[in-house]
Amino acid sequence: MFSQFGATAESLSKASTMVFRIGTDAHLYDDPDDVSIAPLLDSKFDSEKCEALKRLLALIAQGFDVSSYFPQVVKNVASQSLEVKKLVYLYLLHYAEKRPNEALLSINCFQKDLGDPNPLVRARALRTMAGIRLHVIAPLILMAVGKCARDPSVYVRKCAANALPKLHDLRLEEHTAPIEEIVGILLNDNSPGVVGAAAASFASVCPNNLSLIGRNYKKLCETLPDVEEWGQIVLVGILLRYVVAKHGLVEGSIMLSSRSLVKYNSEREDLEPHLAMTENPGNISGEICSDIADVVSRSYLEGPEKYLSRLSCMDKNTSSMDISHFTSSKSNDDVKILLQCTSPLLWSHNSAVVLAAAGVHWIMAPKEDIKKIVKPLLFLLRSSNASKYVVLCNIQVFAKAMPSLFVPHFEDFFVNSSDSYQVKALKLEILSSIATSSSISAIFLEFQDYIRDQDRRFAADTVAAIGLCSQRLPDVAKTCLEGLLALALSESSNKDVASADEEAVLVQAINSIKTIIKQDPPSHEKVIVFLVRSLDSIWAPAARAMIIWMVGEYNNIGGVISKVLPTLFRYLGGRFTMEAAETKLQILNACAKVLLRAKGEDISILKKIGGYLLELAKCDISYDVRDRARIFKNLLSHRIGSPYLEEVQDQPEIKDLTHVLTESIFGGQTKLPSSEPLSYRFYLPGTLSQIVLHAAPGYEPLPEPCSLTYDESCDFSTDVQGIKTPGVGAAHNEPNENDDSEAVSGSLDEENTSDYSSQESMVGSSESGGSYISGSASDVNDNAGPLIHLSDADLTHRNVAEVSEENDPSGSNGVDELMSKRALESWLDENPGLNQNSSDLGHVRKSLARISIKDIGGLVKPKSYTLLDPANGNGLSVDYIFSSEVSSVSPQLVCLHVSFRNCSEEPMSDILLFEEESNRSPDSSDQSVSESSPVSRSEVSTLVPMEEIDNLEPGQTMKRILQVRFQHHLLPLKLVLVCNGRKHLVKLRPDIGYFVKPLPMDIEEFSHKESHLPGMFEYIRRCTFTDHISELNDKYESSLVKDNFLLICEKLALKMLSNANLFLVSVDMPVAANLDDLSGLCLRFSGEILSNTMPCLITLTLKGTCSEPLDVSVKINCEETVFGLNLLNRIVNFLAEPTP
Amino acid sequence: MLQCIFLLSDSGEVMLEKQLTGHRVDRSICAWFWDQIISQGGSLKLVPVIASPTHYLFQVVREGITFLACTQVEMPPLMAIEFLSRVADVLSDYLGSLNEDLIKDNFVIVYELLDEMIDNGFPLTTEPNILREMIAPPNIVSKVLSVVTGNVSNVSNTLPGATASCVPWRKTDLRHTSNEVYVDLVEEMDAIINRDGTLVKCEIYGEVQVNSHLSGLPDLTLSFANPSILNDVRFHPCVRLRPWEANQILSFVPPDGEFKLMSYRVKKLKSTPIYVKPQLSSDSGTCRISVLVGIRNDPGKSIDSITVQFRLPPCVLSADLSANHGTVNILADKTCSWSIGRIPKDKAPSMSGTMTLETGLERLNVFPTFQVSFRIMGVALSGLQIDKLDLKNLPSRPYKGFRALTRAGEFEVRS
Repeated sequence: MFSQFGATAESLSKASTMVFRIGTDAHLYDDPDDVSIAPLLDSKFDSEKCEALKRLLALIAQGFDVSSYFPQVVKNVASQSLEVKKLVYLYLLHYAEKRPNEALLSINCFQKDLGDPNPLVRARALRTMAGIRLHVIAPLILMAVGKCARDPSVYVRKCAANALPKLHDLRLEEHTAPIEEIVGILLNDNSPGVVGAAAASFASVCPNNLSLIGRNYKKLCETLPDVEEWGQIVLVGILLRYVVAKHGLVEGSIMLSSRSLVKYNSEREDLEPHLAMTENPGNISGEICSDIADVVSRSYLEGPEKYLSRLSCMDKNTSSMDISHFTSSKSNDDVKILLQCTSPLLWSHNSAVVLAAAGVHWIMAPKEDIKKIVKPLLFLLRSSNASKYVVLCNIQVFAKAMPSLFVPHFEDFFVNSSDSYQVKALKLEILSSIATSSSISAIFLEFQDYIRDQDRRFAADTVAAIGLCSQRLPDVAKTCLEGLLALALSESSNKDVASADEEAVLVQAINSIKTIIKQDPPSHEKVIVFLVRSLDSIWAPAARAMIIWMVGEYNNIGGVISKVLPTLFRYLGGRFTMEAAETKLQILNACAKVLLRAKGEDISILKKIGGYLLELAKCDISYDVRDRARIFKNLLSHRIGSPYLEEVQDQPEIKDLTHVLTESIFGGQTKLPSSEPLSYRFYLPGTLSQIVLHAAPGYEPLPEPCSLTYDESCDFSTDVQGIKTPGVGAAHNEPNENDDSEAVSGSLDEENTSDYSSQESMVGSSESGGSYISGSASDVNDNAGPLIHLSDADLTHRNVAEVSEENDPSGSNGVDELMSKRALESWLDENPGLNQNSSDLGHVRKSLARISIKDIGGLVKPKSYTLLDPANGNGLSVDYIFSSEVSSVSPQLVCLHVSFRNCSEEPMSDILLFEEESNRSPDSSDQSVSESSPVSRSEVSTLVPMEEIDNLEPGQTMKRILQVRFQHHLLPLKLVLVCNGRKHLVKLRPDIGYFVKPLPMDIEEFSHKESHLPGMFEYIRRCTFTDHISELNDKYESSLVKDNFLLICEKLALKMLSNANLFLVSVDMPVAANLDDLSGLCLRFSGEILSNTMPCLITLTLKGTCSEPLDVSVKINCEETVFGLNLLNRIVNFLAEPTP
Repeated sequence: MLQCIFLLSDSGEVMLEKQLTGHRVDRSICAWFWDQIISQGGSLKLVPVIASPTHYLFQVVREGITFLACTQVEMPPLMAIEFLSRVADVLSDYLGSLNEDLIKDNFVIVYELLDEMIDNGFPLTTEPNILREMIAPPNIVSKVLSVVTGNVSNVSNTLPGATASCVPWRKTDLRHTSNEVYVDLVEEMDAIINRDGTLVKCEIYGEVQVNSHLSGLPDLTLSFANPSILNDVRFHPCVRLRPWEANQILSFVPPDGEFKLMSYRVKKLKSTPIYVKPQLSSDSGTCRISVLVGIRNDPGKSIDSITVQFRLPPCVLSADLSANHGTVNILADKTCSWSIGRIPKDKAPSMSGTMTLETGLERLNVFPTFQVSFRIMGVALSGLQIDKLDLKNLPSRPYKGFRALTRAGEFEVRS
């Protein structure tokens, strides 16, 4: 098309890039602020908002601070467009911490979005809300996370798991327990995707709470292969920690190799296993220890004090393990399962997963099975350069500790020219540690090629590697030496183009020669002489210094070196001033050593030269050399015979002393270190610390083996819990073995229906239970008096059973209809739970009796609050209690009983209470009270003013009824109290418990309504109830016989009714074998929100025993979520707070 | 977990920053990082995991773009590296390729993708198929549409169904008019030939690439005639591991579109299809070079796109090279590339010439390594053969296609 216009190739390409850039956001990135952004943000078009937000994003991308737009951006969070929303979220997350106050404005929107039927909206809202990270909203987030952890959408649950670390990050102590609880719930999720995310949050929230893992260990292992890759990486590490903590190390694994005296056959000499351990175990880096495997395993467990305790534990472990092979195969089973479930991960296409799995096998597998990890690890080397490096760092450790693993695969470590220098160096190091006498020839052939590599630094490393190899395999030392000598000569010939890198090769060659000679100096005497001869052509100072050092060191080893000494020193003396300082120092050292050893006719010449050298050195420009010369002069004075030190020589003992000193300094032949000093630090495979070679923050070694004692009681308690709440129990005890498709739907409601199912199962009493209760019922009746009426539970059970059958999908054929009909409800339909529950009934024979508490209303004592203190009010004391009466004027009004009491000596008059802002005169208020016609909602005034109290005598109390409309159910209302013409400002605090009125209903209606208010409309909190304890104690004293259960029921019900205006629907009482066990006691209350007549259902479920504080779980179902949440908080507060 | 991700251009400019956690990372870390790169002489020379004074950095370089991630706490380094590579993969898939302009032009998409891919420093959705459903890739149609109609959102309004299914890599309700599945064996030959012409190492790295356009939820079974030659394998998550363990059969529900089903390695091959024989001899400051290329083992199909590349040693001042077939180019960074294409029937291609060494240097002391690349269509040199592909759960009979390709991987000839 363009060619028609004769476009050149250049303009064509320009045009095409133009075309490509059309419709992209290029212009936004290039000049983000070429239009003013603020008006766009306020635009009513989503597209303009989008553009503005994109511009802001571009500015963020380029590193500008655009937080000033925050208020305007936050407004847009309510937008319906998902794209706007997403962009706002991106912006919000970037700046929320900077502008906490404005960020709070968005919370309401998130709350609303959390109830959205679209899971994507819910998930995004949760992610962003949690990402805002404000301490103020932490409780809200916790609530939302808890909710979303039970969401039917896997994606939302996954986001909930990811939100937990964000919450944890805020470091709110009071939230740790609930967060860990949610982690536990999510770890037990049936969807592998959620489990992976839960594992990640476990690792960052509570990595040491391994008992949480223990509960689901088997299940976690089984789901491991299905967990998504990122989760696998983390989960594998967690499982490893758990197994180590629980069962200790495995006998025959690399971790116990040195201790169990099972030597495996390798080229490396095994030291006595006890040797290294008796030495200071803490200092890993510097310690000389030949048994690398031992150091490796010690480093993995690390810590001297831990190490000691581990020793004792280990003994127990290893000794008991032999026996336990037969007695308790369970511990071995756990290890076996872990190894089994991690082996398929070795085939993962994610290199991190492979490495993590390999790490588990490395630590836990018996040595003969470790080789399994070799091929997968080597395969990783074919991935990207970056991961290649990390993998090699880990292989290096494995190869050092257990060379036999990689011996057959030496070819995989051959260097490619495309490898980065670091990779090449690592490969070399691995090659030199796995070389065997059979492979060394091939490796040396390779090395010869490497020496010719263009990267001279690498060539130098190769030379060093040759030295290392010959050290490990003394057989090849000779060949190495020859090659190295040839190399040294050829390198030294290129001195004209000497660069620093070039020099390095030569120096390294000499160094390697030195290490070889060190092994067996006498047989290599000729080599030293050869080097001395070529000293003239070897120009690198470091290399020269090394050769001269060797001469000094081995000068009297055989006959040959001593013969060349005079010539050599003459030569050195002539060149001394031209040498580098490094070389000069070595010349002096060698000189001193030679002088000490010299014998025969050469001694006089050597002495002369030595004296000459020392004189020269004294005038050297390097102070180091000068100092050295001075020291030597003094030390060697008796050998050289210096004129300056006459007086010292006169004293024989000093002479002897210097003699001894020189002997001990120079005379001692350097001994071969028993093994190569270990300067390695080992960290767990696959960790960051292993790569950077220091412990990164957050790095933790393996837990102490067997530190997690097998606690039978702990297991037992989870079992007990399982019985208490059968829904949860079922999930624990029998992980859903259905196929995956069902698991998804099954898992949805497993958690949130646990309460339903527990209720239902409580209601459903078995035959035997029923008879038992009827037996005991008469007793109760006799003792408890008229307050308690016990009804036959079987009847109600049948009713409920019918209800549940209606909803039961397995029973009815209209499941699909049901699911699709209720769009929102369907995702929280408790049907699967009921389904599960019906099967539970078979297992858990839990009986319940329904009782009703009559006449409790008479005992209700609403709490009284002080409105005005007599101290502040000139003797007038005003108290108020919330009344359970319902205002006849408007449903939005809350009734209060206000009592005025004159505590002063004088009478009071004209007492009136009215609204602060109200400018109505006291007179007109009288009229409005008498006017009792129903007022329409909008016109409802804040306060229906009270009747004026004309006169209040001293000591007299008068009561008035006040009808108030609180603006907000949490904020106090400011009122003015006039008394004797004086105004007092008072605050009337609302009690949300009285924003509801009783809504009478029966149990069926209750469960029906409840089933319509699932999911986001349901909140659960837990608290402890202690009121009954004092009462029970009293009871024992008064020896009044009354059933504990009834007493507690009564207490609870009273407390509820005294603090909130509710209707007691039912009390379900467990009939357990253990008479003290209250678990399962369930009270239901219902109410209706005054302002909008929405029902509000409250269920209390108890756990615990009579004599101890009870664990109450309060559940509220209410369409008005904010109200419900606040009411729930209020209930929990007053339940937990002991009655005075 | 990761705290921040930066995207750096090849000149060190920070193109994007995405903070992931509450612990914000200042951009200045990038300046530090870039200084490090400059001092090391190139990003490829830097270790992928670096401990800076304040953070640990992970870097992955793709086509000049540096993906830099920071953390302050212990985490599996490979996880970070794999994730960054995944981000790079997804981005180049979305944008067609990777370069500075493309990223800047589509920065909103990059942000949106990053936001979906990672949450609080932990990977969230990395499955390309799902991402594509959540955020529409930019294409010409949508671009034009957005120009014409104003802004069209590329953000999906619904959660992809796959997030909830047990096969998270696959859309739940796929419909294709024509059902077809292609299985390609793509093999790369890695070889090292040392200077006396002996084959030090020769192995195949292969991938089974599948391109599936199948409706519904098909269940595929792929078996090989000779699975025993496989040395190592790695699988796409869709592969069920039990059947492989038992019978070495690949059983899987495929993702839609192209994906890498499996990668494998076949070791210890005995010969290479072509030979490259370099000869270098140097004397008195000049070096004669000649390289011969020819077919050693005829694979039965034509070998094309043959190129031989090597870097002139640093001590070479100038070079004069010519070939009797193909073209020889010497690039600015002293890389010499000889592209041969196909080997002609009548003559053996050879390249020869002289190189002048630095003054004072008599003989060449370092020798170049020759990298060879070639391509053979229709042959899997490892000898791996697909036995059969069974498809179940499909409404109609699909079309099945098989192909094979071998190309050179890290094929090196030392001199």
